[in-house]
Amino acid sequence: MFGATRVYRWSRLLPALFVLPAGCGSIPPSVSGLPASSQAVELEDTPFYPQERYQCGPAALTTVLVQSGAAVSLEDIVDKVYLPGRQGSLQVELLAATRTEGRLPYVIDGSLAAILQELEMGRPVLVLQNLGVTAIPRWHYAVVVGIDVGRRQVVLRSGTDRRRVTSGRTFLRTWRRGEYWGMVVLAPDQLPAAPDRSRYFDAVAALEQAGRTEEAAIAWQTALGRWPGNSVALFGLGNTRLVLGDYEAAEDVYRDLLEREPDLVVARNNLALALAGQGDYDIALQEIGIALSGNRDAAVERELRDTEATIRRRHSLAD
Amino acid sequence: MGLQNARGALLRLVSVSIICMGFAQVAPAGMIGTAHLVNEESRAASLSRIEVLLAREDVGRQLEAFGVDRALVVERLNGLSHAELLKLEGQLDSQVAGGDIIGLIGAVFVVLLILELVGVTDIFKSF
Repeated sequence: MFGATRVYRWSRLLPALFVLPAGCGSIPPSVSGLPASSQAVELEDTPFYPQERYQCGPAALTTVLVQSGAAVSLEDIVDKVYLPGRQGSLQVELLAATRTEGRLPYVIDGSLAAILQELEMGRPVLVLQNLGVTAIPRWHYAVVVGIDVGRRQVVLRSGTDRRRVTSGRTFLRTWRRGEYWGMVVLAPDQLPAAPDRSRYFDAVAALEQAGRTEEAAIAWQTALGRWPGNSVALFGLGNTRLVLGDYEAAEDVYRDLLEREPDLVVARNNLALALAGQGDYDIALQEIGIALSGNRDAAVERELRDTEATIRRRHSLAD
Repeated sequence: MGLQNARGALLRLVSVSIICMGFAQVAPAGMIGTAHLVNEESRAASLSRIEVLLAREDVGRQLEAFGVDRALVVERLNGLSHAELLKLEGQLDSQVAGGDIIGLIGAVFVVLLILELVGVTDIFKSF
């Protein structure tokens, strides 16, 4: 989070511009991260929604949502994210609206290299620019659909321009004033090009909390493909199965997790609920007993007691 | 007839609500949400990042120069909420364009920021 990648914004690409055309010599180590194929990328089939006055947020978001395969219209999105009073949209609303479409919003690192990586995966990047000056800001959302390293150009869907070509330097200046904020829209089974585990997990947990349980389940499964056996991802997968009422599958996941981490009390709490869901009340209460004996956290203890009471109540109702 | 209609409408409304309830995915009572573990993990990651900074020799010297016990700072850090830790990280982040934070802004400033945010000193309030 100390932004180790940020320093490589343009600076990571600039040497490439000067060194690569020469085609030889010593390539600085910072450039070696750029794949050789990254001379020019443009996602020409990215849709375009010319914005009406002030509505760059909805237009940009609709663009990236549709490109990700979501079936949305500009009108739907305007209703969700446009704030007439502010004559604009907030970043958090763009994130929230993305979730309501069952998609994962992922905030990328603030660098051209990061944008390029996403473009190469076929994903356009929604960016926040400040087209004014610092004293009189003019916030603007646009979608980067292409980068041409050789020509030092960035291609955007922006405002009423279907294909605005801007110099890399100008783009970076306006993007810097937008604090290098940029996001991509991921389908639940897609990972970011360069995933930061903790940021990706935050994004999936937020999707889960937004009530998109089925999509979150797919995302946790996807996360497990990348980070096999990861506790957080297993816990998330178990929880989504539990919420979906698939108690046996949830039990399997929690057991797998507890085999790896027997002291993970929160997982044992939820395992008990998965067991209770199958009518195995006695085993469920045993698991709560094990969890209680191993727990040191007062807040978690209250949760365990609550769960215990809930299971007892359901048991007596079932009898 | 008006009443009949109203009753019909109400019944439809109720039955639709019941159907919707059936489909709504509600976490069972007592379930501990995924966010619990996600927060715990990112909190641990934040803590370890700051502790790595504190463990550096140049930072240690600076703490000593200020007459601050490193153990006290670590203890305060552990007492911070997740949100406070994120704020501390955000502050550190906003000071640098990236890379090695100490190399860029210097041990003194990093130490001052950390101390300020864990409440050992309120030196920045005077600015």
